[in-house]
Amino acid sequence: MNRPLMETRSLTLGAAGRTLLRDLSWQARGGERWCVIGRNAVGKSTLLRALAGLSVPRREGTVSWLGRSQAEWAPADAAALRAFAPQQSNDRFPIAVQRLLELAACVPGGSDPWALLRALDATHLAERDVMQLSGGERQRVALAQCAAQGAPLMLLDEPVAFQDPAHQRQVARWLLTLTERCLVFSAHDVNWIAGVATHVLALHGDGGWEAGPVATMLDAERLEAVYGCRWRQADGAWLIVE
Amino acid sequence: MGLQGTRLATFAALLLTGTAALLGAALLLGSGGLDADLIATLRAPRVVAAAGVGALLALSGLAMQVLLRNPLADPYVMGTSGGASVGALLALLSGVSLWIGAAGGALLAGVMLLALARSALAASDDASARLILTGAMLASVAGALATLLLTLTPDERLRGAIFWLVGDLSGAQHGWVCLLGALAFALTLLARRRSVDRLMLGSEAAALLGEPVRRLRYELLVAASLAAGLAVATAGAIGFVGLVVPQLLRLTGVQRTRELAWMSPVGGAALLVAADLAARIVVAPMELPVGAVMALIGAPLFIGFLMRSGR
Repeated sequence: MNRPLMETRSLTLGAAGRTLLRDLSWQARGGERWCVIGRNAVGKSTLLRALAGLSVPRREGTVSWLGRSQAEWAPADAAALRAFAPQQSNDRFPIAVQRLLELAACVPGGSDPWALLRALDATHLAERDVMQLSGGERQRVALAQCAAQGAPLMLLDEPVAFQDPAHQRQVARWLLTLTERCLVFSAHDVNWIAGVATHVLALHGDGGWEAGPVATMLDAERLEAVYGCRWRQADGAWLIVE
Repeated sequence: MGLQGTRLATFAALLLTGTAALLGAALLLGSGGLDADLIATLRAPRVVAAAGVGALLALSGLAMQVLLRNPLADPYVMGTSGGASVGALLALLSGVSLWIGAAGGALLAGVMLLALARSALAASDDASARLILTGAMLASVAGALATLLLTLTPDERLRGAIFWLVGDLSGAQHGWVCLLGALAFALTLLARRRSVDRLMLGSEAAALLGEPVRRLRYELLVAASLAAGLAVATAGAIGFVGLVVPQLLRLTGVQRTRELAWMSPVGGAALLVAADLAARIVVAPMELPVGAVMALIGAPLFIGFLMRSGR
């Protein structure tokens, strides 16, 4: 087994007087694709932000990258190790997509921006201004931006939230090609998750969590525990039981 | 898509030729005609001051826009110039150097704006309106303080209310100091062009890319405040140059700090020289305060930009 790229010890997160996550001790390695699942407001985004080293309302415990605690990383070194794509971009100034990818590069010779745009069906957007893109287009550009940084650890907050079904599939295929990297993302579509993730980290909302390989984590009982509704599998697809 | 390659070069050439032509016109036109002595002793210092102040204000606006992540920020609208006016008046009344007073006042107003706008800046939602309103309130407090100071101390050493509240270039001196200041400011921005471009993506986005965001923002705040202070000490609180120039450049398609850092001061110089020329010749032989002319140009444009950004 290779060395964990990211490790949390007793990570506890809270917001607005409520504990979102208690004592998360967990590891993620290169080649793994972790999907964080849970109901709305359960703390998926907060967890991803904490893993990225961004400010969160309340946190205890440690997150380390390559065995060193986040706080010990110089900003420039951290930028070469982890990238984060927020759920929504908040653009204020016009900038061309191509230039955005140029600015994002942190690892020399890290990623080819044109290959990324091609893989994400965004080549035609290269010369467009980010402020004129649709929500789905802007999100695919944000994913390309995140990968263009060249960091081996990629944290993606709901990477397919604004994608139509065809583009959801395209993003999934692209994620499957990133075999060298360690991916941690959140998503809601159980069938999409089943096709992309190697592992699942489930948040229960009361601070409880459960982590494991996707095959064991996606089962009817566990899904019911996470989402509070009943599930069944038909022709390999997960369906909600009415 | 922004301007690139030959189109960018063409635009740059146009900007430079236009500015040169304006400078020539400003030197040659006006009451008194083409008297060499008059041009050298009266018009040239004034044109240099207009160019220097315009360049400083445009750079100050550009830096504040990046710092506050708001394309509508401007030292006049956000109260920085007003703070400089109050600081300069206090300095003159207490016998301290005008420059120190103006720079100190501008810096204090800038720090107050940042402190008040902290939550607005931290929020991920669109807090532009809150930020602009906070700045506008700071500007109106500074205006009231300046008016009070002028009313309570009818001192003939002080220049009039028009100078401190809207700005005036008649009798402006030491314009070359402003030009040097603008040059230093532009070089400072150019040296950090990649970092400034990244900061425009957002402070969190820049931090994720390894930029020392806090230090960068302090540097921008100090530079923007000093520039506003220097401009106010020279020509009073002239408004809207810092808003109009970078905004027009962006609308033209200039997006990168590499170009904005030198095109903004050149454009600012051209705009203020043009406004001052208009102020001198429109109702000649009478003169209008250039600040009033700028406000008449700038305020409607500000409203236009505001409505456009709301869409």
